[in-house]
Amino acid sequence: MVVCLSDVGTATRAVPSERGRGTRLPRIRTEALLGYGLISPVLVYILVLVAYPFFLSIYFSVSNVTVAGGDQSFVGLAHYQELLGDEVFQKAVWNSLSFTVLAEVGKAVLGIGLAFLLLRHMPGKKIIRGFLMLPWTLPISLSLLSWRWMFDPQFSTINWAIAQLHLMNPPYPDWRGDALWGYLGILIVNIWRGFPFSAVIVLAGLTSIPSDIYDAAKVDGAGFFRTWHYVITPMIAPIIFIGLIFDVTFTLGDLTIVYLLTNGGPGYTTQIVPLLAFQTGIQGGNLSTGAAMALIFFPFLFVAVVFFLRLLYRRQAVT
Amino acid sequence: MSVLPARPLRWRKVRDGTLVGLAFAFYLFIAVIPIWWMVRATFVADYDLVDLQVNPFWYKQPLSFDHIKYLFEHTRFLTWYGNTYLVAFFVVLITLALCVPAAYALARLRFRGAENIGIGVFMTYLIPPILLFLPLNQIVVNLLQLPNSKWAMVAVYPTFTVPFCLWLLIGFFRRIPIELEEAAVVDGANRWQAVWRVVLPLTIPGILTAAIFAFTLSMQDFLYALTFASSSSQKVLNTGVPTELIRGDLYFWGELMTGALLAGVPVAIVYNFFLDYFVEGITGALK
Repeated sequence: MVVCLSDVGTATRAVPSERGRGTRLPRIRTEALLGYGLISPVLVYILVLVAYPFFLSIYFSVSNVTVAGGDQSFVGLAHYQELLGDEVFQKAVWNSLSFTVLAEVGKAVLGIGLAFLLLRHMPGKKIIRGFLMLPWTLPISLSLLSWRWMFDPQFSTINWAIAQLHLMNPPYPDWRGDALWGYLGILIVNIWRGFPFSAVIVLAGLTSIPSDIYDAAKVDGAGFFRTWHYVITPMIAPIIFIGLIFDVTFTLGDLTIVYLLTNGGPGYTTQIVPLLAFQTGIQGGNLSTGAAMALIFFPFLFVAVVFFLRLLYRRQAVT
Repeated sequence: MSVLPARPLRWRKVRDGTLVGLAFAFYLFIAVIPIWWMVRATFVADYDLVDLQVNPFWYKQPLSFDHIKYLFEHTRFLTWYGNTYLVAFFVVLITLALCVPAAYALARLRFRGAENIGIGVFMTYLIPPILLFLPLNQIVVNLLQLPNSKWAMVAVYPTFTVPFCLWLLIGFFRRIPIELEEAAVVDGANRWQAVWRVVLPLTIPGILTAAIFAFTLSMQDFLYALTFASSSSQKVLNTGVPTELIRGDLYFWGELMTGALLAGVPVAIVYNFFLDYFVEGITGALK
């Protein structure tokens, strides 16, 4: 019975190549019609609530629009020009970029280490992994409350530990009121939040490599670093790149950590672009400038993504 | 002869085991410590929280449930809980209604542009909320007439749940052998029956995964919740707990941490079970 069914299946697929072309054609047309019908709800939704607002935000950024209306006149790149000369914005760009780069490095180091640990077999690994993933799986606005406690000027548990271990003399770090410590605190939370995700991405890459390739490298006498450089890296590169792109866009666009830790202060020393855009656009009602701020990284990310995807497709075409 | 190399080998195993154990302990410590402070603050007396002589890892006064009680009796914690799950529920419904048919079409049907549409949807991953929230705010207020309402979140959250869930579901549909569907058609079913009776039952695990994903993702958001619902009765947990339990310079530490614990841990647990699919949703473009 089973054999019979699968035979029929292959037969129906083989038919059109012989004589069924004429009868198959209208079916293909209805298939296309059905296809468009089934995807149209998603397309409409994406067009209305992603594509339209996206272009609207570009429009905002090149004209004078405020919550009150504004004069809606076209001003070209004037807002961008203004921003480039603005000291606060410069600081925010610098902070955003340096936070992202440093945080990615930190996440990569901690994540790669954790990924290799998680490769090992051990009892209760699922449960241990669950605990290790908590920084990523907990909603960040909630876990940040605990970080506020750790960074509190009076009750900071980190400072308590520093005092107990005699690592520093007082005055102890002011994690939320000092420019440098605030910067460091934001960075720490960023890395803490993201390292489990980096680990999972690297792990996904590592487990996608067939184990006989490791064995072959071993037989050929490759040590850890050679295996890493010549075998593992090229094979997991695509997955890592996707993970990295996702994480960079996510980190560059996230304002939660800074908003809830320092709110950009003291002054604007720990200000970042998304938070500045939020304060300008929503709290200040200046839609045009806010939109220009939010869009500032997009062209660069877009070019990077397109470049990478093309590279990826060419690679796949070769192999 | 055979004993000699065995000893260093065993020694090496013990040494490696210890190193791995230590490394795990290090990672566990940094991952769990903030949650430990939530647990501690939930049950210790207020006095222990502010007494600098008390070890911050432990307690001195008798433990109590006062913070939990206060949270439920004197704040809108239950309202926020209700709002959060209400929003998440409708986001799941909308996401599935949009994605299941589309995923089937993109996985199975041949039509012009299908592949590019898939890639296009994937690219919307890369438009983070920060690029959309200003115009979305205008759209929500002026077009949808939903100023300051939790329903705004219901309308907007699918912007980030749809790309994920669509990619996940396409993967699931592709894994079902097309022969099954064809066999059903040969046995006299029409296409609709073949999909409804044969394909969909097999995709239920995938659909459930997508549903849970839409659920947990909508519980992670902060920016939209902050922008679209500012009055207390419309807030969700992610915004309610951190904004309403701090009055000026006065921190209700016990209640803050209790709220964070009760709101966050269920999300974390569910998310963790489906984390592998999350990774698959992101790396899905590679397949």
